[in-house]
Amino acid sequence: MGAVTSPARRPDDAAGDADVMRRIRAGDRTAVDDLYARFRRPAFALARRILADDALAEDVLQEVFLSVWRDPAAFDRARGSVASWLLAVVHHKAVDSVRREESQRRRQAQAEDEMALDAPTATRDVEDDAWSRVVAEQVRTAMGVLSAPQREALTLAYYGGYTQREVAALTGTPLGTVKTRMLTGMRRLKQELGGPGGAGALGDVWPAEGRQ
Amino acid sequence: MSADHQQYDELAVGWALHALEPADEAEFARHLPGCARCAGIVAETTEVMGAMAADLPQAEPSEALGARLREAVAATEQVHRPTAPREVAAPPAVPAVVPAPRRARALPLALAAAAVAAVLGLGIWNIGLRSEQAELSSTVAEQQDVVDALLSPDRVELDPLGADGRPVATVVPRDGDIEVVTHGLSVNDATSTTYVVWGVGDDGAKPLGTFDVEQSQTELRTVGSGLTGLDDYPQYAISLEPGREAPSDPTEVVATGQVTS
Repeated sequence: MGAVTSPARRPDDAAGDADVMRRIRAGDRTAVDDLYARFRRPAFALARRILADDALAEDVLQEVFLSVWRDPAAFDRARGSVASWLLAVVHHKAVDSVRREESQRRRQAQAEDEMALDAPTATRDVEDDAWSRVVAEQVRTAMGVLSAPQREALTLAYYGGYTQREVAALTGTPLGTVKTRMLTGMRRLKQELGGPGGAGALGDVWPAEGRQ
Repeated sequence: MSADHQQYDELAVGWALHALEPADEAEFARHLPGCARCAGIVAETTEVMGAMAADLPQAEPSEALGARLREAVAATEQVHRPTAPREVAAPPAVPAVVPAPRRARALPLALAAAAVAAVLGLGIWNIGLRSEQAELSSTVAEQQDVVDALLSPDRVELDPLGADGRPVATVVPRDGDIEVVTHGLSVNDATSTTYVVWGVGDDGAKPLGTFDVEQSQTELRTVGSGLTGLDDYPQYAISLEPGREAPSDPTEVVATGQVTS
């Protein structure tokens, strides 16, 4: 896929990411340091958002980067950019962790935050560079195009780590409607971020309608 | 097929978001391996999710984490998985990515599957994990499906053409589609060639669907959709074709098998 996306990263980072993965595959332990240097900030930002706990978020990061070292071939079996893959693994493990660890009470409190903040902004712990502001702005604009229920469903699932049934319960919506909202919301986001002809922030691997 | 496929489109997005309920997750884990459309949606959703991560306050983990990670890496060996050779002679490995605490649950089924493969003379047994996200549920579901297919009373085993030896594929015609288990077909170049499954009857051969072999390990995929009249074919064949579309007649048949039941 001709993807250019990398969360808050410059397009030319993709080749460097691929090179770091090749070194990890070749057994170069120092390459893990490089991968960590490249991704620790977005990875930590995502994990702590989902977990609302810095210590648990760090545990998730350690688990993720160590798993990449142990089995770098896992990346070959996925499709897409190193950045998206790695952040998807962080998301997956953070969601597993939140489901394991977090008390219902905290979950409930977080859900309320989640709904209050459908387009998260907040103060930045670290000064972002111009490029990450551009990407963040693009994403925020794209999120703004969604209907409020689509945005809510995707926000709860992605940033909150809730299952579709939990989202249905939290929003008082039938499960089938939640599933449809997530699909249509994602399609819309893809369109907004991908731009016509896939020329935007995303590459073009979304199957065209009606194609096999 | 868009209308029929809507349900899977929805599951694909939920899968990428890791937001499916267990029953949906198990169902999608069975569906995904045979469906290029769903693989595309999962990949694309993953890219969008990566962009969504950009819209978060950037934050630094503690310095101690970097040191802790380096120590852990220094103390950890890599998993060595042979890169899929074209001909697999070596005995299989149990999928190595399954996290250790869960392996105890995965093993009995893997062993059962290996036993089935041995009984059927397939010689090899190893189902590769397709992605990090696939993990255990997908592996178990795939193994279960492969075992089910290999033991189906409707199965047709296809022998390689012009050579003796054991079957290289098993097809199971179902209502509307065909399950294909490959256990010895060569990996094809998915950019310029495709395998085609043919139903062979009195009127000649009819293309039923296309698929690619991505690894020399055992793989299960579902081919074709809305197929009818599958009961009428006395014979099935697999050909390897140039291009990505099924031609009207097979070019190079690589395996055939008679319906026995």
